[in-house]
Amino acid sequence: MSTPTTFWRLAGVSYVQYVTKASSTVRAALKEPAKSKALAQETFSYNRATWTNGEMEKKNLVDSLAAVGK
Amino acid sequence: MMNTLRHLSRRTPTTTPLTRRFATESTGGGGAMTLNFNLPQETLYASAPVKSVVVPGAMGEYEVTADHVPIVAELKAGMLTINFEGGESEKYFVAGGFSLTHEGSATDIVCPEAVKLDDLDSAIVQKNYEAAKAAVASAEAGSMESAEATIELEVNRAMGNALGLSLA
Repeated sequence: MSTPTTFWRLAGVSYVQYVTKASSTVRAALKEPAKSKALAQETFSYNRATWTNGEMEKKNLVDSLAAVGK
Repeated sequence: MMNTLRHLSRRTPTTTPLTRRFATESTGGGGAMTLNFNLPQETLYASAPVKSVVVPGAMGEYEVTADHVPIVAELKAGMLTINFEGGESEKYFVAGGFSLTHEGSATDIVCPEAVKLDDLDSAIVQKNYEAAKAAVASAEAGSMESAEATIELEVNRAMGNALGLSLA
């Protein structure tokens, strides 16, 4: 159980990340109109705020994978 | 003394709980099986009576019929076929997920994405397969990029096989 046996686990990718990536790959290969309907499933949006000593420092809107973690 | 007491707790055919395992004979079948097929965004089938389901397990493809032994399987990207009583069948391409078959012939299939073959674009699959092949070749072995490119490669290959494309 402690030794990974799948290529994705060995590269540090979790199952959820793996299956999400596989789903994105399937959605990317769709034809319209199914494609726009399916891509809506991938969109996400949240606000990320950093707090120090009870005070909010900065707040960012995260709405794409590029903006995650910033 | 321990040897004489051991017979009191021995499991006999009459005391063993009736849990079916792979080596157990089936009771005969002929009953119906029900299918629950769910995606996060949509319920495709809820307690639908079906004849059988062909499931693309990660360890191999298998068909579930009524009275199938309980089994939990991770799914790989591939074709899932639902066969109905009247002879019709419906096929979906699933990206992954899990299939759980319970006692009482109920099967739960959960997938993050399942699409109809008609909705897949062969040209895009071919293009993405080539791009993924190039990305795997150029990425550093064992890195996150290499893993992501390999996932794309394998899923596109599975889609290509399902569509009847011959991918190199």
